[in-house]
Amino acid sequence: MYRLITCAFALISFFSFSQQNCTLSGYITNASDGETIIDAKVFIPSISKGVLTNTYGFYSLTVPCGTYQVEFRIGGMETETREIVLDGDVQFDFEAGSNVQEVDEVVVNGEASDNTKSTKIGQIELDIEEIKKLPAFLGEVDVVKTIQLLPGVSSASEGGQGFYVRGGGPDQNLVLLDEAVVYNAAHLFGFFSVFNSDAVKSVNLIKGGMPANFGGRMSSVLEVNMNEGNYKRLSVKGGLGVISSRVTVEGPLKKDKGSFMVSGRRTYIDVIMKAAISDTSPFAGSSYYFYDLNLKMNYKLGKKDRIYLSGYYGKDEFVFNDPSGDFNATMPWGNGIAALRWNHLFSNKLFMNVTGTFTDYLFSFGSEQDEFRFKLKSGIRDLGGKVDFTYFPNPRHKIKFGTHYTFHTFTPTSVSASQEDVVFDTGLAQQLKSHETAAYILDEFDLNEQWRFNVGLRYSTFSHVGPFTRYVKGDISTPDSTIEYQKGDLIKFYQGLEPRLSMRYMLPDNSSIKAGYSYNYQYVHLTSLSAVSLPTDIWFPTTNIAKPQIGWQGSIGYFKNLKENRYETSVEVYYKDMRNLIEYKEGALPSDNVNDNTDNLLTFGRGWSYGAEFFVKKALGKLTGWVGYTWSKTERVFEDLNNGEPFAAKYDRRHDLSIVASYELNDRWTFSSSFIYATGNTLTLPTSWYIQGQDLLFNYGQRNSTRMSPYHRLDISAIWYSKAYKEQEDPTTGETIKVKKRFKSNWAFSVYNVYNRANPYFLYVDNDGDFLQGDFEISVKQVTLFPIIPSVTWNFEF
Amino acid sequence: MKQQHIFASILAALLLLSSCTKEVVIDIPGYEEQLVIDGQIETGQPPFVMLSKSKEVYAPTDLNAFLNGFITGATVTVSDGTTTVQLDEICSNNLPPGTEEMAAAMFGISVADLSNYNICAYSTFNTAIWGQVGKTYTLTVDYEGKTYTAETSILAPTTFDSVYWKPETDTPDHGFSWVTLTDPANQYDAYKWEIKRINTTANGSTVDESFTPTFSPVFDDEFFDGLTFDFGYENPHAVGPNVPEEYRFLYPEGDTVVIKLSKMDRNVYEYMEKKYTQLATAGNPFATPTNIPNNISGGALGVWAGYSPSFDTLACYE
Repeated sequence: MYRLITCAFALISFFSFSQQNCTLSGYITNASDGETIIDAKVFIPSISKGVLTNTYGFYSLTVPCGTYQVEFRIGGMETETREIVLDGDVQFDFEAGSNVQEVDEVVVNGEASDNTKSTKIGQIELDIEEIKKLPAFLGEVDVVKTIQLLPGVSSASEGGQGFYVRGGGPDQNLVLLDEAVVYNAAHLFGFFSVFNSDAVKSVNLIKGGMPANFGGRMSSVLEVNMNEGNYKRLSVKGGLGVISSRVTVEGPLKKDKGSFMVSGRRTYIDVIMKAAISDTSPFAGSSYYFYDLNLKMNYKLGKKDRIYLSGYYGKDEFVFNDPSGDFNATMPWGNGIAALRWNHLFSNKLFMNVTGTFTDYLFSFGSEQDEFRFKLKSGIRDLGGKVDFTYFPNPRHKIKFGTHYTFHTFTPTSVSASQEDVVFDTGLAQQLKSHETAAYILDEFDLNEQWRFNVGLRYSTFSHVGPFTRYVKGDISTPDSTIEYQKGDLIKFYQGLEPRLSMRYMLPDNSSIKAGYSYNYQYVHLTSLSAVSLPTDIWFPTTNIAKPQIGWQGSIGYFKNLKENRYETSVEVYYKDMRNLIEYKEGALPSDNVNDNTDNLLTFGRGWSYGAEFFVKKALGKLTGWVGYTWSKTERVFEDLNNGEPFAAKYDRRHDLSIVASYELNDRWTFSSSFIYATGNTLTLPTSWYIQGQDLLFNYGQRNSTRMSPYHRLDISAIWYSKAYKEQEDPTTGETIKVKKRFKSNWAFSVYNVYNRANPYFLYVDNDGDFLQGDFEISVKQVTLFPIIPSVTWNFEF
Repeated sequence: MKQQHIFASILAALLLLSSCTKEVVIDIPGYEEQLVIDGQIETGQPPFVMLSKSKEVYAPTDLNAFLNGFITGATVTVSDGTTTVQLDEICSNNLPPGTEEMAAAMFGISVADLSNYNICAYSTFNTAIWGQVGKTYTLTVDYEGKTYTAETSILAPTTFDSVYWKPETDTPDHGFSWVTLTDPANQYDAYKWEIKRINTTANGSTVDESFTPTFSPVFDDEFFDGLTFDFGYENPHAVGPNVPEEYRFLYPEGDTVVIKLSKMDRNVYEYMEKKYTQLATAGNPFATPTNIPNNISGGALGVWAGYSPSFDTLACYE
């Protein structure tokens, strides 16, 4: 492997030094607050060469030496041009927007879309400012809800955070917050995401053609980066909403050298409930709240080094108290995430990022009934390290390579129970420890003007290590037994090669054909008992029984931009194959998880999904938005389920349509709306009933054979901005001039589910009455969660 | 204060509206009529088997449909490995003497009502096949050209160390039933708890004619294998609007209660455990649908259950 890499470098270096070349490199930042800009384009029109900045705002472009007019193209800003003399290697840090006059209104004519030119297939970047304009549920701007509006992505259920990408499960999405893995991205049973929109800088979703620098999940990557904080001055922003409020403070640690950002958010449903509910109500004594805190700091240690520290801590707590005092329960859960990163420039062509991450997810449930006490805990703790390099040998090649390591500690469930003095034997708290490693290399290169490739290879390993107790379940004749593994014992080792490829072929008329292929290993699984995504879903690692999930996906698409890139259009088709998927065995209950291993309750199978996605986006002008439509089919087959016959996945959706539009009437008013139509989720309902021992019992038929009625919903919003400028007299000239106000605010009004559609959340079969009394009845009931909900939020910034 | 009212009303509206439930009629594909076998054999008792068929979710649910649902004309045999006996078809209005109580319990009607209905089942007078501890019984049902078989065992019973009644602090004359139980160590044990109140009524009969299972009546020794411990169980009759809330699930002082603790094999327990789980969770979206496993081969629903009971009488006095 090492020899191969060395050869590749030698070859690339040979070509790159065959003429007198100079390297232009540097960072691109926003002049107003000093934040680095991701995916800004540095372009030299005279030789048609360009490069995009990376996640840290760094770019490097190696071209023949000479004097060039260099364009800096940044989304939402006017393209700026600088003359740069490249008589040697030059580091040129660019502050975008620095020549914009304070009094000028910002002209959003924007930068030409690049989506036909890049090799990015199935990849969408979202602008956080655009997301903030869209209708928000209960006024809480949510990046995950917005990505659910994209083709190929669907939500789990009403208001749910779990998202399904191209037929993959919610555990198959790699959710990264500043490079640290987030296991549960949901608050309040999934109605809100953990990403506080004020703390978010960029959102990038990869749903196909996953580059080799990402791995460990099969379906998608959701990369969320936090704001770095204002380098220029102290600033505050926040919002007051119906159920929650948030505030963000950012500012320089040292001007233009370092900055910080702290952002907090808390709901006050519990406070409102306390005030609104009388002591006699069945809800009295019950409450729910969540809060979260984001923190980020960074510091430039000279021209070549920079360090970042990111942290997130969020907690949800649900408390239930039976007013009679007989039963009470508390259910706290939350994530703690930290990432420490170091950027280092070895040269103007070699960029390195070293990351250390810590992720902790804990869910617990405690209850007390009379003298019986019960406590359940489940969680994951990850300690990880990554070293990633980006090498820019010449404008034709961009090479990334690196290694990743994670030490996982999973606690699928630990239970304790007692009654008065008797402590029940609930088995030892099970923990599963494992090492996950990966190494990768990828090269993104232009063969010629038409062909561009991104070729990569990833090698990953997973070792399940002791201490561990394996429970082997006996049958009637053989008793249960256990196998004990000691600390450090290797229980099972897995490894795999993951080839990745994506390519683009440029066609005339600003259109292109792109194709992608990725092969992935996934070593963690999410076991879900219910049709609804809940914090009770348990993360479980690969063991000697639960094998790694393995999947491949192939996709091909046609991309075309129309009317000078005002419209982006694309059609993509995909096929995805998934092996070693997990489900609970029929009738399994989480309480069975005692003196047992979770994987003994699991069963393994295969799945596949295929579909076509259509996307039209208008990115520029007063009216912006998109229309996305997906046709897809997703199936599963498990030997032990449904008699071994294929069945529809619970989120199998034949049709999924979303229409999103935003209209900027003037500088005070912006109106937006979004509409969704989706085929109903599948579920398993009883097909027949019978009587045994005088009890009415149900017999369930084919798994997921019943389909709920379709889901559709319209949301609208209007945002009213305070005046951005005030008029004042120029003391020297006496003329009236416009001056930008420091304090800005807006009112965001939104209405969720405008026509009050009763969308199905779940269905159940209800039986009422007494058979022998003759008033017995069986019926199918549908539960709907959210009716029309208006909300208002006041946002401010100064 | 005004703002608080706004919040309060928004939240109240949310709570009221957010769990809106309505009846719908949707297509549930996959209905298939299946034979249902409800059979049991208990120490010292004849085998007793009722046959019926499963019904579609939207099928009529009136009493007649239920009463006409019992199947006659099947060939039912029980074997203990050496003796094989074909069961007789018996009907509720023409029962062999001595089987009334058990028949009434299995039919779910009172002994007095037996003659008013014509519910049919399969049993036998041949005591050679009546339940004995330590034997395994095979059931065979031939019906409409299909054969269904099942096997169950009558295990050694476990007896209580003691039974007692203890009033609750708030209700000095009402309390739960309590027992001290020593679970046999190093073996799998599963139990079912039923009760019958035997206080005499004004007309000289006992309050209850038959045993009634309590709530969640089955449990196994997963958590207490080999332990000696005390536990309480509720009164399944002390429910309904006529019972004052503070007395619900409790036995009043003065009741005399027979507690029946039946042992069963693992397959029967798994059926019963899933059955009571389904009864508790049916319709709950947060649980997987519980399909009840069964110990019958040939594609029928239901159970063939062997019970090994031990009895103890509890007098509700301190």
